[in-house]
Amino acid sequence: MIEVRDLSKTYTVHEKAPGLMGSIRSLFARETIAKHAVKGVSLDVGEGEILGLVGPNGAGKTTLVKMLAGIIHPSSGTASVLGYTPWERNNEFRRRIALVMGQKAQLWWDLPAADGFLLLKEIYQIEESRYRENLSYLAETLDVTKHLNVQVRRLSLGERMKMELIAALLHDPRVVFLDEPTIGLDLTAQRAVRDFLLEYREKHQPAIILTSHYMEDIEALCKRIVIIDGGGFIYDGPIEGIAATYAGQKVVTANLKRAGGVPVDPEALARFGTVLKAEDLEIKVSVDRERIADACAWILKTHAVTDLAIDEEDIGSVIERIFRERRVDPA
Amino acid sequence: MTRYFVLYVYFLRFSFSRAMEFRVDFFFRIGMDSLWYATHLIFFWALYRYAPFIGGWNFDQALVFAAGLFVSDAIHMTLFSNNGWMFPILVNKGDLDYYLVRPVSSLFFLSLREFAANSFLNLLLAVGILIWSIARYPGELGAGTITIFGVLLLVGCFINYLMHFLFMMPVFWLHNAAGMRDLFFGFGRFTGRPDGIYKGWVRRILTTILPYAIVVSFPTRALFEDDIAGIALHMGVVAALGFGVLLLVWRAGLRVYASASS
Repeated sequence: MIEVRDLSKTYTVHEKAPGLMGSIRSLFARETIAKHAVKGVSLDVGEGEILGLVGPNGAGKTTLVKMLAGIIHPSSGTASVLGYTPWERNNEFRRRIALVMGQKAQLWWDLPAADGFLLLKEIYQIEESRYRENLSYLAETLDVTKHLNVQVRRLSLGERMKMELIAALLHDPRVVFLDEPTIGLDLTAQRAVRDFLLEYREKHQPAIILTSHYMEDIEALCKRIVIIDGGGFIYDGPIEGIAATYAGQKVVTANLKRAGGVPVDPEALARFGTVLKAEDLEIKVSVDRERIADACAWILKTHAVTDLAIDEEDIGSVIERIFRERRVDPA
Repeated sequence: MTRYFVLYVYFLRFSFSRAMEFRVDFFFRIGMDSLWYATHLIFFWALYRYAPFIGGWNFDQALVFAAGLFVSDAIHMTLFSNNGWMFPILVNKGDLDYYLVRPVSSLFFLSLREFAANSFLNLLLAVGILIWSIARYPGELGAGTITIFGVLLLVGCFINYLMHFLFMMPVFWLHNAAGMRDLFFGFGRFTGRPDGIYKGWVRRILTTILPYAIVVSFPTRALFEDDIAGIALHMGVVAALGFGVLLLVWRAGLRVYASASS
């Protein structure tokens, strides 16, 4: 449903030296630099797939989504969404996609969401029966039926985001772009949105591209993720594959007996890796894969262990570490 | 076409619902524009105390011209002004995004989304003044001529809309539309004077490249002069060319539209 080949977007931005003199100088002689927001990326997304796009601020996630939604033109490369070139903005293409931006509202602020939905019904030419069916299903699933006639500005952030989702999905889009749909929401609202998206995907099988800073969203919704940084992809594959590719370490957790054991010695533990926790009842240490056996043997030998677990490093931590390391060494 | 009409009815409904919420602003606009009408009428009345003809028109004709100007201004304020004012803000804040993903003409949406309900009452007042000025005109004005005047006045409003948006479009490249907006409103003063007062190259510019002088003056000429076909053709060509240029600039603007980062 989505095919992207060597897509790039470069902005020309001007640089100004700080202070008044810098401003005066830039008035006459302006230095410009090319900022590569997206650098030659390629990807495919199929029907029913939710692709998670992960990256730090300014990585190029939103720029990529906006190019695929037809909002901005690329500098080079090709993209096909449902067989259309997005930035040609064919009406049939626009009728079959949806966009939700967590930081921008599409509904009329001073009017009830129900009024905005009626306008969208006309814009997308949704048949009356289908409109009623979709609205009823979406509002009930998202539990906002009783808020449909409340002015949008009087809704809570969570309720507003649910209304934005309804607005985006009323016309049964085949491709959905979700740009940080849970940003700013509390944990309950985040979970509600995630559960809804999973159910919606199950029922309608659209292709979904999701960007989010919350790893909980990505882990709950996406089987495949793309890690983007500096405009380029640094990983594209199954979510479980990240740990195998990047996590050189595993986390060893040992629960200890309440009494009778030897006091925990963090310095001794540190020989095996990074000590995450060293308390009377629990030890947690991040250990290089090749030293796991040694670490476990030592813990079992020196402490009264009631339970021992070896886990992969948390995916969020792995990704965070990747970005941190790239900041130090971008190459 | 029907679909766009239905969409527009929604815009009207929404705008009225919203305007009613802000009562002070609602009545303030009516009072403010009424004052502007009065000032303009007094201005013409004062001028004609010292000269029997200005730009080839006597006081009665100038009164119809002034009333036509009120109607033209009220139509612009009601239909287009808020949208034109909002346009650069939408571009700079990256808020065109949702307009661009809808399967309707984005330019239609952006040009007509905001209907200024409070100015609509001024439009009714302005139409009333226009009817009065035509009714009190001492000469003979046929129904056909008055109809043509009305149609050309609408074409003039369309030309005024084109200029407003053409002045706003450079925001895609300049990122600051304050200067262009001031220019549009500054040039707008040429609309409020009979075109007959402009001569030579100034006249040529004001009736072609910057066609402010034809917005109200030409329809008024059609009411009082014989060359109706020539006037209609001139306005038609300017409107068609202006629309073509607007579409070209709009498309070029969208190519460089950067949106804003999230």
